[in-house]
This record gives sequence, structure tokens and C-alpha cells, in this order.
Amino acid sequence: MSILLLAGFLCIATPAPQANITTVLGQTKAPRKISRYVCPMHPKVVSTKPGRCPKCGMRLRLVEAPVKPSAPETSAMSARPEENSVVLKIPNAQVYDQDGRRISFYNDLIKGRVVAINFIFTTCTTICPPMTATFRRVQQELGARGSEARLISVSVDPATDTPERLRDFAAKFKAGPGWTFVTGDKIEIDSLLQAFGVAVADKNDHTPMILIGNDRDGFWSRAYGLSAPSTLVSAIEAATAHR
Amino acid sequence: MLRPNLTSSLHLCIISLAIFAGLIVSGDRFSTRVAAQGGLSDQQKRGKQIYVRGTSSSGKEILAYVGESSLEVPGSAMPCANCHALDGLGKPEGGVNPSNLTWEALTKPYKVTESGGRERGPYSERALDLAIARGLDPAGHKLLNVMPRYQMSPQDMSDLVAYLKRLGNDRDPGLTENSINIGMVLPSNAELSGLGQAVKAVMTAYCAEVNSHGGIYNRKLNLKFAQTGDTPAATAANVKRFVQDDQIFVMTGVFSAGADREVAALMNELELPSVGPFTLFPQVGHPLNREVFYLLSGMNEQARALVNFAVNHNADKKDGALVIYPETNTGKDLRQAVRDQCVSSGCGPTEEFSYSNATFDAAALAANLKQTGKKAVFFLGSGKEELALLAEADRLHWSPEVYGFAGSELLGAPSSFNQRVFMSFPTSPVDQTAEGIAEFRAFNGKYQLPSDHLAAQVSAFASAKILVEGLKKAGKDLSREKLIQALEGLYEYPTGLTPPVTYGPNRRIGAMGAYIVSIDLEKKQYVPVSGWIKIN
Repeated sequence: MSILLLAGFLCIATPAPQANITTVLGQTKAPRKISRYVCPMHPKVVSTKPGRCPKCGMRLRLVEAPVKPSAPETSAMSARPEENSVVLKIPNAQVYDQDGRRISFYNDLIKGRVVAINFIFTTCTTICPPMTATFRRVQQELGARGSEARLISVSVDPATDTPERLRDFAAKFKAGPGWTFVTGDKIEIDSLLQAFGVAVADKNDHTPMILIGNDRDGFWSRAYGLSAPSTLVSAIEAATAHR
Repeated sequence: MLRPNLTSSLHLCIISLAIFAGLIVSGDRFSTRVAAQGGLSDQQKRGKQIYVRGTSSSGKEILAYVGESSLEVPGSAMPCANCHALDGLGKPEGGVNPSNLTWEALTKPYKVTESGGRERGPYSERALDLAIARGLDPAGHKLLNVMPRYQMSPQDMSDLVAYLKRLGNDRDPGLTENSINIGMVLPSNAELSGLGQAVKAVMTAYCAEVNSHGGIYNRKLNLKFAQTGDTPAATAANVKRFVQDDQIFVMTGVFSAGADREVAALMNELELPSVGPFTLFPQVGHPLNREVFYLLSGMNEQARALVNFAVNHNADKKDGALVIYPETNTGKDLRQAVRDQCVSSGCGPTEEFSYSNATFDAAALAANLKQTGKKAVFFLGSGKEELALLAEADRLHWSPEVYGFAGSELLGAPSSFNQRVFMSFPTSPVDQTAEGIAEFRAFNGKYQLPSDHLAAQVSAFASAKILVEGLKKAGKDLSREKLIQALEGLYEYPTGLTPPVTYGPNRRIGAMGAYIVSIDLEKKQYVPVSGWIKIN
């Protein structure tokens, strides 16, 4: 378990130097696309063929590297060094919260904030309840420390998860204010999942991953969704303090 | 010579021991299989509640502690079945593979390697207690972090373990290796008895037809009947007694008029699927009643379709609608449906008038309504009342477009309302395909079904087809939950006689929409004015 935590908790640094190098390389030689399969939770598990991670059994995800970075628009940007500056662009998707209000994902939830995002669906019964219970505790501890970090849970099954279902789910785990549950049209949600790198064909394969970000500085990190709440709280505080 | 003899007799001894052991094992297997045919004991039933819902029938609290930091959540938020599934085989998600909890798997007499490489010996009752309460397997290894530690009373623990012994081996009531009990509720009201008999005849014939082809996975459909009571409460009580005494697996063609809410709530409480109840008021509000699958739109859904039609039909969309409704529960529900649909379809704010059935004064109402100058009126009362209002409006030379529900009285409306009176129908003859009609005719002839109440017969026939399709899709290893999931998976299923039927995780009305029809008052006939109007 501790290996899981360590591996999952690898921080992602700002990509500026690598981005420049890639761009320079790109001028002389077109970036060659190499397909690699990486475990979403164990970045060190890399294979040239699809398959499952020997550590946790999750399906390996296709990563094409190097990818030419694009300039951030209204988005936060991040990359992990070992993945050669993969760029995350957070789209300003038009989505709904658990009260059925229409919101703009980037502008209303992310912009200028410190956030922790997990990915759930209400009919997921194996990993979502413990992940959500963990988030609930994180919220309580953040509240006790006066943190202004916000929590976001994005549904990976928007066709089923209506705002009403999300509201019931939130109530079941006593989610407090400052924790937004997000659903919407499949196309909008898919754009988010793609951007976060958590899109999967089968919702039951979805990743117990938490993204922790500080939009002011474009600092993002990943954590294992079933980590101890205290681990997540320190990660969120590290993101808050990051300059 | 002595030694080989000794060895061979030893061999013999071992062989006979093995045979004896085999006999014991197979005898044991046999007894569990026999037990599977019977119901659960009271203790196992209590254990099942803990397994499925995480609550104790004693009312004592069950708590779950998750992860290293022991987050406390109520047992109902993380019942066993969440991860280990109703059949105990486990629902793998996101890299977490819950262990197989069937008694056979738990008590394998040799060392077992669980996912993650953990090796363990067989579980005993005491070892299960430790696993559930302290998160340790028989070898003393810690279970995966995602498995909570549960705190429950010793009685609850022994109930749960008693149920684990039957897990994956217990069937829902009314289901055996060779039969499925299907329940119907017929109207006791004399006025409706003809209708009830027609529907009963269709269902009986349909089951006979399926059984004559070998049933479903070799299970014969066994139809049983109950009757409605005089009051909603009496109906619900009748149905409850019927379901328990006659061991009903699934309901179909339930007459619940007047007791729609009570009967639907009962199905939900008993976790008993019901396919195609006869009702004008499907109970489809939030939270979803998962058990009841309706065939056609009810009044509320039709009212919404009328709004959708009116919005597209009127040039002045923002004009806003005038809504007239009787002060009854039904009237208020319909008013709410129209109001909501007006908001979502953007037809402007509604202006509302209500009346009480006892003091309905059509002349005064018509005078008041004319003042508003609106061009579109939603009338949510009876056909008779609507006709009276139209007559008074005609006298005042006021002829708005009037949207309401089907009523043959309206064929006698004043001619100033020619093609200005609109009504909705949940299905139309255009839905009936040539194959559908041929199939129903052949079936009707073969079983000599009654010649009256054809609309009800068609509904019953379509419901029976949907139920059988669901039972087939659910597979041989049938359960109520699997039937519900199979029905949820139906998409545009052609009954041949109704609009195609679609259900889903949030959808319980198969044909969610309506047709709008107006009346040609000169020829005294209905004129279709819309195609199928879907409701979002």
C-alpha cells in the first residue's frame, strides 16, 4: 500500500524547460510519436504493449510521447517530467452541479483556486463510496484548518447521473458547501475526462485518482483516491503553498 | 510377500476412505442444493438485510470504518453487496477486486491466493468474524484497505455469517428451477370486471403460449391473480398478502387505479418488479421507483407533450399559457407538469385559474378567461367540463386554441372550435406494424380472446411481451435484480402494437411521449396533427 501511495503521489512539476527543449527539437526534427503503455497509478510501470499493471491490476493506458505542448489559453497547465511534458488543458465545459445549476467548469470551479478533483459515478459501488467518504473527511479537516480549497467530484457516467442523483449521493456522504458534484452532456463531460487523462471506455475501469491543483500557479499533482485523508490534506496544503 | 500385502491393504484403506469422504461431501452438497429450493430461515433473512442494505432488523447501529484512518460511515453507505455483489462474486472496479464470498470459495480446504497475492487458508465462522470486524484473513494478513471494518452486535454478526453460508445459493421468492410465479391484480369493481377478464384472458393465453414452447430457460410461467380492494389501503394490503402467500416473483398488468401511489410504493418496499401496470398516473418522480416499469405515458407526461406541441404550434411563443385546473390532487399535479414544461420549453410564464368540481360555473369562468386575451388555453379537467366551457366561450365569441385530454364528448363542441381543440393520446394506430397486427390477430384467434376492450388487450399483450423479453435477457441465472437490469437495458424494443419501448437507469416509462390530435367538428372525426412528440 505504501508503494501505491508513494507512486501515486508523485508530484508534477511545471513543464517550462522541457517544453522549450521539445519545441527546439521539433524545429529540426518532427517529434516522433512513440506509443507507451503506462499504469495510471504507477508511472514507473511502462510497457510497449497493452496489458495490466503487475502491481495493482489496472489496465495500462496508452501514452503517446513526446507530445508537442500547446500554449495554455484559459487553462491550467501541467506535466510530469517522466512523461515528457504532457500538457493538461482544462476546458471551460458547460456542465451542471448537483443542484441542477448550469456552470462553466473552468471559470466557476477552477479559475484562481486550489482544488481537489475526484471522479465518481453514483452506481459505482466498490470504490466510489470509500473515495467519497475520504473526500468528506478531507473536507472536514480542510475546514478545521481554514483552508479555502474546494472539492470537485466529476461523474464519469453523465448519462445516468442526473443532478438529482448526484444530490442524493452528496447527501448520503454529507458533503458540505464548497464541494461541487458535476455532471452534464456526455460530450462536455468527455472533454473534461480527456483533459484530465481519466477517460476510459468502460466506466467500471475508471481510476481511483485525485487531481490536486493550484490554478494560480498552474501546479498540479496526482494522488491515489484511496489514500489516507491526512495524506490528501497535506498534498492540498502543499498545492496551496506552492509558488 | 508380507510387505506388498500390507501396502495394498493400506491402498485399499485409503481408497475406501476417499470414497467415504466423497460420499460425505456429495451428501453435503446434496443437502445444500435441497435447501436452496426452500426459502431462507429467519436468521438468514436478517443476515441478508445486513448483507444487502447494511442495516440491522433489530434497529441496532451498524458502522463501517474505512482505511487506515478509520473513517466512520454508516453501514448503509457501504453494505457488503456494494462490492461483493448480490451473488457474492464481487464487482471489480478501478483495480479493486473484491473477494468471492460464496461459502464454497470461503471454505476451500486448501490454501487460496486472493488477488494481490495474499495467501490464506479456509475461513471458519470465527475467522469470518475477524475478517468482518478487524479486517484480517485466516492467515492473519490485513485485508485490502477498501474493505471496511464493521462494528455490529454479536447477534447481527452471527445472522450475517448464517446468510453468507447461503450466499449465491438463495433464490428470490417465486422462482424455482422450473417455474416463475407471475402475479396480476384485477379490478374487483363490477364496472371494470369485463376489462379485467379481457386482460386476464390475454395474459393467461400469452403465458400458455410461452409455456407451450418450453417456457423460459425451461421454467414455466405460472400466473396467479389477486383483486383490488375498496380503498387504496385495502388494495395495498391485498396485494401484499397475495405476494407473500403466493410467492410472487414479478407482477404484470396490475390494476392500481386510485391506489397508484400505494401499490407502486409497495412494489418498491418489497423490491418486486412490476411490468406494465394499468394506470393513468405512473409514479415516476424522484427518487426513482426502480421496480415499476410503465408501458405508456400517463396524464402528466401527456400534459407535457401538449405543452411541447403548443409551443411549436403557436407563432407567439412567449405569449404564455393560460392553465385551468380542478382543485383536486390530480388537477394540481397536472398544473405542476404544465408549469414545469412551460419553463423548460420556454413558452413564458403561465397564468392559472382553478375551480372546484362542485361549484364549476362555466359561464363565469369563460368570462374571466376571455379578459386575459390569451390565445392558448390548457384545460386540465374532464371532457364534460371542457365541453361546457367551450359552449360558454362560443357564446362570448371567444375561440382560443384549447389543449386538453381525450374525451369523446368533445366531438360535440361548437363549430367555432373547429380544429382548435387539441388532445393527446399516448399511442396511435400508426404505431401498429403489419407484423404486430398479424401476430396479435393470430394470437387472438388461436386463444379465442374476448372481442371487447381491445385497447386494454393490446396493452396487456405488449406488457407481456416486454416482461418475457426481460426474463429472456436476464438469463438462466435469474433474479429480480437481474430482471430489473435487463429491462433497463431495453432500447427501442418493438412491441409491434405500441411506440417502441425504451427504459434506462432513470427512465421507467417505455413510450415516453404522446401524439396530438385535433377534431374536425364538421366531419366529427379526429385529425392527427403531430408525429410522436418525445418528452425530455
